Amino acid sequence: MMRIVLEPRPSPLPFMRIVAPIIALVLTVIVSSLLFLSLGLNPLSTLEIFFIEPLSTLNGVSEWLLKASPLILIGLGITIGIRANVWNIGAEGMFTVGAIAAGWLAITFGGGNHIWLLPAMILAGALGGMAWAAIPAFLKVKANANEILVTLMLNYVAALILSYLVNGPMQDPEGMNYPQTAAFDPSAMFPPLVEGMRINGSIVITVVAVILAWLFLDRSFVGFQMSVGGAAPAAARYAGFNQSRSIWVGLLVSGATAGLAGMMEAAGPLGQLTPVLSPGYGFTAIIVAFVGRLTPIGVVFGGLLLSLLYLGGEAVQMSLSLPASVTRTFQGTLLFFLLAADVLILYRIRIRRR
Amino acid sequence: MIRHLSRRDLIRYCGAAGACLAAGYTCSEAKADEILKVGIALVSPVAEVGWTKQHSLGVAAIKSAMGDRVEVNIIDNVFQPQDAERVFRGFAASGHKLIFGTSFSHGAPIARVAPQFPNVAFDCCAGSKVLGNLGAFEAKYYEGAFLGGIAAGKMSKGGKLGFIGGFPIPDIVGPANAILLGAQSVRPESTCNIIFMNSWSDPGKEKEAALALIAQGCDVICAMTDSPAAVQAAEQSGVWSTGYASDMSKFAPTKQLTAFTVDWSSIYVKDALDVVAGNWKPQSRWQGLKDGVVKMAPYAAGIPGDVRAILAKAEEDIKSGALQPYAGEIKDQGGAIRIAKGAVMADADVRSANWLVAGMLGQMKG
Amino acid sequence: MSAYRLELCGVTKRYPGIVANDGISLQVGPGEIHAVLGENGAGKSTLMKIIYGAVEADSGDVLWNGEKVKIANPAAARRLGIGMVYQHFSLFESVSVVENIAVAMSGRFDLPALSTRIVRLSERYGLPVDPNRLLHHLSVGERQRVEIIRCLLQNPKLLILDEPTSVLTPQAVRRLFEVLRTLAAEGCSILYISHKLDEIRELCDTATVLRSGRVVGTASPKLVSAAELARFMVGAELPDVHRDPVALTPHPRLEAIGLSARSDDPFGTDLSDLSLAVHGGEILGIAGVSGNGQGELLSLLSGERTASADMIQLDGQPVGDLPVADRRALGVAFVPEERLGRGAVPTISLADNGLLTAHADGLVKRGFIDRQRVAGFAKAIISQFGVKCTGPAALAHSLSGGNLQKFIVGREISLSPRVLIVSQPTWGVDVAASAFIRQALIDLSRSGAAVLVISEELEELFQISDRIAVIYQGRLSRATSRTATNVEEIGLLMAGVGPAFQTAA
Repeated sequence: MMRIVLEPRPSPLPFMRIVAPIIALVLTVIVSSLLFLSLGLNPLSTLEIFFIEPLSTLNGVSEWLLKASPLILIGLGITIGIRANVWNIGAEGMFTVGAIAAGWLAITFGGGNHIWLLPAMILAGALGGMAWAAIPAFLKVKANANEILVTLMLNYVAALILSYLVNGPMQDPEGMNYPQTAAFDPSAMFPPLVEGMRINGSIVITVVAVILAWLFLDRSFVGFQMSVGGAAPAAARYAGFNQSRSIWVGLLVSGATAGLAGMMEAAGPLGQLTPVLSPGYGFTAIIVAFVGRLTPIGVVFGGLLLSLLYLGGEAVQMSLSLPASVTRTFQGTLLFFLLAADVLILYRIRIRRR
Repeated sequence: MIRHLSRRDLIRYCGAAGACLAAGYTCSEAKADEILKVGIALVSPVAEVGWTKQHSLGVAAIKSAMGDRVEVNIIDNVFQPQDAERVFRGFAASGHKLIFGTSFSHGAPIARVAPQFPNVAFDCCAGSKVLGNLGAFEAKYYEGAFLGGIAAGKMSKGGKLGFIGGFPIPDIVGPANAILLGAQSVRPESTCNIIFMNSWSDPGKEKEAALALIAQGCDVICAMTDSPAAVQAAEQSGVWSTGYASDMSKFAPTKQLTAFTVDWSSIYVKDALDVVAGNWKPQSRWQGLKDGVVKMAPYAAGIPGDVRAILAKAEEDIKSGALQPYAGEIKDQGGAIRIAKGAVMADADVRSANWLVAGMLGQMKG
Repeated sequence: MSAYRLELCGVTKRYPGIVANDGISLQVGPGEIHAVLGENGAGKSTLMKIIYGAVEADSGDVLWNGEKVKIANPAAARRLGIGMVYQHFSLFESVSVVENIAVAMSGRFDLPALSTRIVRLSERYGLPVDPNRLLHHLSVGERQRVEIIRCLLQNPKLLILDEPTSVLTPQAVRRLFEVLRTLAAEGCSILYISHKLDEIRELCDTATVLRSGRVVGTASPKLVSAAELARFMVGAELPDVHRDPVALTPHPRLEAIGLSARSDDPFGTDLSDLSLAVHGGEILGIAGVSGNGQGELLSLLSGERTASADMIQLDGQPVGDLPVADRRALGVAFVPEERLGRGAVPTISLADNGLLTAHADGLVKRGFIDRQRVAGFAKAIISQFGVKCTGPAALAHSLSGGNLQKFIVGREISLSPRVLIVSQPTWGVDVAASAFIRQALIDLSRSGAAVLVISEELEELFQISDRIAVIYQGRLSRATSRTATNVEEIGLLMAGVGPAFQTAA
């Protein structure tokens, strides 16, 4: 009888870091080709529609980056949190509060054509997210409350606050009572980078955040202390690193990025506040962080990949009339192989005979 | 083929972007011998019943009406405006000549995309704007709701109804009022406990809300939700219910009094035929029982003949205009007279309803 | 039919980059106590894991009672009658002693009955342990008792012990040896892994010596001297520890005055009125069986727990209420008992592990890490302290225990501390590395630093300490000059027997 076992490698294989995703891609192509063949589709052209067609036009690239940008931004914050062993499941709520804070400025000062409005909204978005993240940080530091539960629950609180605001104080007075704010004034919106396309100046924030996150995690001592606290809390205590600060930093940074992403979405493709602002970015970004192996550069790839999966899924539905379940199966297959292949970095597969 | 298409459309799209203010739909592109590509964005995956199911039936109607002359492409699970805009643009850029939005949340993005593609017809259910090439359509739910209310008022033991809705928006608040007004028209002392879930689709919450209302003594659960969870919970608890959007009697075989269902197929098919014929015009439509957009599901077997007669009469009168669900005198929760005796609520007020009628127990906000 | 209970023929195991076992053959007869001797990294642990079924050999045969067997996993090994006491324990942290033992037992899950058997065995062999205590409350020494008892409960035909005595009092070691001899007399074979040559000479009938994954020879330890055995094992002459005469600073550098503290842990040991003083230029050794308050004392001295300010003084300055970082800034360095996870972060490089405590040494500029200097710092430790590794980029957990300990001790010594507090400096470390670390500690003390060593190995304390005190149930005995006492006397104090524990140091 044969038995397949996973044996831990004595040390992680560096070249596997590159090979693992390639293996995952190959397996995905094989499995999905069988799937497409069974549906009577040409696997090659289907894959082309999935991965190439969405990016074959300038507008496609614009949409790709527009969707990837908030995922990357939130993913960076979640990565920094997880490095400090702080599991932020509440990016969705921080996203919402950031958007509310920025949206309040937009509605209050939108008519005045103020040049400071957009920068102030950026600041407000970050601060809003941080304020929301401060709650679980405070509770964890002072009362050792589990941040996973607290952040998760605060998502619902944020959603209810938003619902109250767009149904009440911030509701568009001319909106037939629909739960939404008035559309933002152009001075409260990111200018488009290319006329007629949706990609806008907010992408700069994400690019800067990637660089800062890399500097923070790879070069800064505070980032190092945080990672130690996450990887080996006893070692951090032994070295005299401030654990409470790590928790604060981990949550505040992820709050700031999520809040910024919320602000960018409100002042970008949305242009107003509605009862639901995020298409699940706060949760998708957790996948992004893990697909990116918890490194800033990896998160960029993860965000671009997840974004492309959305676009490709739509392209396939649009061009081939494939049911959405097929595209979702494909997306799941790719993510499964990608995360599973990472096991090969730390383990090797052995076949044992008994 | 596909690459070719997208390149051609890119060129076309760039031209369109430049002329984006040149509003006004021109039908020169649509030719009778060409296959019409129709694109539709659904807010959720198609389920057995519910809002999206009814839209998918409308799509199916286009196919059965036009057969090979039409290609319909569906993208589901598109709820958020930021996703919807990309999807509409994608449809338009890939040769779709008729594009449907199916949600209020699609209204703003479709209005942003439509001017950039003046040769494409856009039509949005629950949309609020009408542009040179963008129409809007909605149903008079309140007509069906009023009939459901009559059935509820007649069949309830204590005259205590319970209403569950998604968000306190006019499209839900209005029908909620109509249900209670219908009940009060046959049983003046009727009241209605009302719960808003602040979510469009959440079967768990819907069931919980239904059970909470039943625990409060409500014996007809009027659900305006996306899943059958509420009518199912009512069936299991042995109390009456009314359904919405789809006939949910499959989930409540004995206890669903009726359901006010929506049937968009006439709108979908007409749009498609008009686009092919080259005479499509953007318009705002608001239709109810008379046009067959709102339809009553078969009444429950447990409803006695005299009640059925009342319901049949009321349905005919609504269709003919003899019965106006929102006829005065109507007071609000605070007792103030909103519609004077002899008056009828104006359409604009119906479509922006933000208050609850007297007898409603519960809040719109909070 | 072979006369051997266990026979290995040409067992080979390769890992990427190294051959852990290279054609190893050995034979163990029934009732034989067989030593496997070798430095850390010689391949002893891998070999034992192969016998126990935890690791699969690439080639070679294992014969059990003359029959070729394939031992697929530890459960199969236990079914054959092989028991193993690991050096790094395979116990579950969050459950009790008896539950830990129960999971390894076949048969019915009857905890009360099992508890009774545990208590009976632990009394018989002098391995006191409370079956109902949770594992994570136990010290290293106590955990080892659990491991030993767990094996003995299964009436093994072959018992493998990996460095079993390092945490026992001399008296308990003697009792364990009695147990092992009794077991051997009953026909149980014993594979005894150790680097403690005296013990091997006292206990074992045969010794197989490993070096770099190969068998370099077999000896009768009772017939050769410890020095000969050591040479055999290391392949070279052993450096002897040498110490210069003590020149003490006039005032103590580190003082604990009437230190009392309740343990954080409900099953821990409270410290009661504990006083000690260490002058610059000397090493004070603290002996004691683990679980007598060593952990609590170390965390109070390091600042991981705080006390009232006056209870701990550094060069006369009260520091008892200062956190770790502040005490480190004042020139205190520490080497904790747990190397992986506390003294070093397993998953990061040696360079980053240098940064862990040496960041104030110019490795961080304006909040940013100076990678070059970090690598340079690690490189200096690696070369000065002879750390065997692939370089500063090597991950901490890729090093053998001894090499990682050399790195940690080297790192803390490189900080030029005024006071160095070390717990278990050479636990599980091979002979050569131990000698090196001990010499480094002596040299540091002679340069004027006060060195406090908490150890459960008496041999070590007698080798390096200038004075020795004993900790027992949270109280500390008066420190005695090493030359004025002996192993027997300290051993009695460790067992709580002897002169009353006094409060003055």
